[in-house]
Amino acid sequence: MNKHVKDLAPETTDLSRRSFLVGTAATGLVLGYAASGIDHALAAPASANVEPSVWYSIAPDGLVTVTCGKADMGQHVASTMAQIVAEELGANWKDMRVQLASNDPKFNDPVLGAQITGGSWSTMMNFDAMSRAGAAGRIALTEAAAASMGVPASELVVRASTISHPKSKKSMSFAEVVKSGKATKTFTADDLKAIKLKSADQYTMIGVSVPQLDIPLKVNGTAKYGIDVMLPGMVYGALVTPPVRYGATVKSVDDSAAKKVPGFIKAVTLDDKTTTTTGWVVAVANTYANAKKAAAALKIDYDGGPNAKLSSESLFAEAKRLQGLSDSGEFFVKDGDPNAAFGTAAKVLEAEYTTNINIHAPMEPMNATAEFKGDILHIYSGNQFATRSGAIAAGAAGIDPKFVVMHQMWLGGGFGRRLDADMMVPAVQAAKAVGKPVKVIYTRENDMTMDFSRPLTYQKVKAGVDGDGKLVALSHDVVSAWPTQRWGIPDFLSPSVDKKGPLDAFTVNGSDFFYTVPNHYVRAIKNEMAHNATPSGQLRSVAPGWTFWAVESMVDEIAHATGKDPAQLRVELLDGKGKNDGGAQRLRNTLLAAMGLAGYGTRKLPKGEGMGVACVSSQERATASWTACVAHVAVAPSGEVTVKKLTVATDVGTQVNPDGIRAQVEGAALWGMSLALFEKATLKDGGIEQTNFDSYTPLRMSQLPEVAVNVIANGEKATGVGEPAVTVVAPAIGNAVFNAVGARVRGLPITAEAVKAAMKA
Amino acid sequence: MPNLNINGRNMSVEAANDTPLLWVIREQLQMTGTKFGCGAGLCGACTVHLNGEAVRSCQTSLADAVGKKITTIEGLSAKGEHPLQKAWVAEQVPQCGYCQSGQIMQAAALLSKNTNPTKEEVVAHMDGNLCRCMTYSRIQKAIMRAASDMRTASATGSERRAT
Ligand code: FES
Ligand code: FES
Repeated sequence: MNKHVKDLAPETTDLSRRSFLVGTAATGLVLGYAASGIDHALAAPASANVEPSVWYSIAPDGLVTVTCGKADMGQHVASTMAQIVAEELGANWKDMRVQLASNDPKFNDPVLGAQITGGSWSTMMNFDAMSRAGAAGRIALTEAAAASMGVPASELVVRASTISHPKSKKSMSFAEVVKSGKATKTFTADDLKAIKLKSADQYTMIGVSVPQLDIPLKVNGTAKYGIDVMLPGMVYGALVTPPVRYGATVKSVDDSAAKKVPGFIKAVTLDDKTTTTTGWVVAVANTYANAKKAAAALKIDYDGGPNAKLSSESLFAEAKRLQGLSDSGEFFVKDGDPNAAFGTAAKVLEAEYTTNINIHAPMEPMNATAEFKGDILHIYSGNQFATRSGAIAAGAAGIDPKFVVMHQMWLGGGFGRRLDADMMVPAVQAAKAVGKPVKVIYTRENDMTMDFSRPLTYQKVKAGVDGDGKLVALSHDVVSAWPTQRWGIPDFLSPSVDKKGPLDAFTVNGSDFFYTVPNHYVRAIKNEMAHNATPSGQLRSVAPGWTFWAVESMVDEIAHATGKDPAQLRVELLDGKGKNDGGAQRLRNTLLAAMGLAGYGTRKLPKGEGMGVACVSSQERATASWTACVAHVAVAPSGEVTVKKLTVATDVGTQVNPDGIRAQVEGAALWGMSLALFEKATLKDGGIEQTNFDSYTPLRMSQLPEVAVNVIANGEKATGVGEPAVTVVAPAIGNAVFNAVGARVRGLPITAEAVKAAMKA
Repeated sequence: MPNLNINGRNMSVEAANDTPLLWVIREQLQMTGTKFGCGAGLCGACTVHLNGEAVRSCQTSLADAVGKKITTIEGLSAKGEHPLQKAWVAEQVPQCGYCQSGQIMQAAALLSKNTNPTKEEVVAHMDGNLCRCMTYSRIQKAIMRAASDMRTASATGSERRAT
């Protein structure tokens, strides 16, 4: 672990051992879990002026404001949290408001013990805690109202922010109870656990598509993103990033021409001991336009460093070499003995699957604003991982992380990009160098060439089928950079089954699928060369975005090789035996739902058209959302693929906001399609070649297919929805292309050239 | 000092003539609803109206904007109640929301001339506006809804005038 990045160990915040406080403050009623650890002094009984770890507050006018410790990047998670609270609290939706949290540990995720948003974890992990918080508020308000009305609390009914006593026809609004100042109560951890939450049939708010609370701000220009932060006396920083993605150093900076730019203040060469960046220079000026002019005028001499000659081709070649070594990597799955089984198999299939580098490119380019105020460093930035980003900012400033306050903003897209904290470094060091608040904004070119990208991956899959056409053995090697290991947080790594050492499960998740295969191994192999040359990150859905590309393509190849219908083979493999019991059946049902919705196999398609299926259990085995897709494509003789329709079914257990879920699933499916067909970044001479939306080309409106989404809510626990549909689409399209024209493409993105070449082969 | 007419007000600004209008609006005038996405005319996040036409403010110099009527998302309607803004809420279009000021301004220029666009016309007009959250189908629906609302409003308006 880098010694300049401190305090990364997640603090345990086990809410099941915390009390819950309802207290009166000047601003109204404040409600929240008592903090543990560093501020446990506040865990005293609720009293005036004590602000517990505030999860929500109720103002004297009755407005309920929920504080969200999650990054809201378009998944409306703040609104969802408010909806869960409102259900148990009994509040009227029009009284609900949301605000974003600062990085005070009291806002840490109750399960993860840190402020991090990713992996579609939010809803799943916060459901119970938010529900109990809402219920505790309702109980405290009801008891206070009962005392005021002089009636037993048990006879009161709470609905739409009003507490009424049907027998006497008395009622009090939440506002009136708050103003009475009597709603003060402490719940012990046991009290809280004893609260009986509503059962699903009693819900009036959960499962309803209430309007998202953040949307009005986003249609009139008032939502404030990181890039919109304005501080008194603030100046601007424009970056000059080196031609090499990682490893370059600045030999010299000549600022003589920059000095002629009006408003130019200083060129700051970063001294980044956190090793997040290499060879970056910030030009600081009075306006961003002037900062950019000054940046363009700087003459910088670089040493390209050890990666300056590397290309995508060299990274693929290295991956192949590593895969060929018998002692490479660590085992993520090891069931039975595939190698022995291959020896007795009737048929063995072998294939290589690849994916290229992909760039997050959220519409809001990376940015951060830093201000030193006394001992405290304030950071304003939309960020998915405030805990670690604060530590990086501290490392860049050379101070202890406890002196950093992170101010969360709305995120103009996250997709995993804002888990990283590179933007903190130039903002902090520029602010320090010029003694003023500095806002650093990446140009789109900086943003693309310095992305913590989805890594280039190389996978080798071998399958053995017995005489009855049964899949008996599968070996799966996954070679990639290790995005999560880069964080330097041991807790995010997983032990390997062969005890060889920790592995980055975020490179192999998904490969531990729910198909029953008696002999199955998965090796996670780190491509050190790629890891160093293209520091990789978490891109929406992470590993399942490539592991299912390989697995779901191979299952199709097996079906065709054994003369089976690819969907039917999947149903057979999802037999729910042993460790796959439960999950396999849910996935099978989801697949059948998608097939039914798409009319799979029910009609003959015109020449050049085909349907393909895929089904996935993204993100992780333990947190899966069961998702299946039928893609319907038309392939031109040129090899060009047009997606006519994507039919996606997803089992999310419980849906809090059905319309919000549909929006997420549809967006995720289109992301999957964009990655499958349109997005490709390449490394050349150590640098990313694509610099803007002319060469890196996400899906546009004219490429939009018909998308049908079927959300299955069967009353199981709520699962995440922001990511799984990303992973299912590429293999479904690849399989559809094969069914349409007999071309098997094994590399992403699927280009017209690759399809055409495979058609001839 | 150049003078800009923006959202019906005259404001003097201090910047070089070649400064992109985008940064003048965002920094000097502190109207941050107009967004920076690519700086190269490739994404549409920075779309504003110049004399009613949708333009990319990152590709428009301050000098080019002087003497013209500039409208930004903040000035599209007095209370944020342009039919498109209402339709955007009704269809729950925004996810992260970052592209949406530009999308709405781009769509508004279309509907100001044609309140009965075909789907093809909408796609052709909107194709330069990227949405990384991929809210395209809701954008289409919202434009169609707003167009229909505008037609209804003008029909009832002209009926009233006729009587
Ligand atoms: S910022 Fe102007 S078009 Fe992208
Ligand atoms: S809503 Fe996020 S970019 Fe369009």
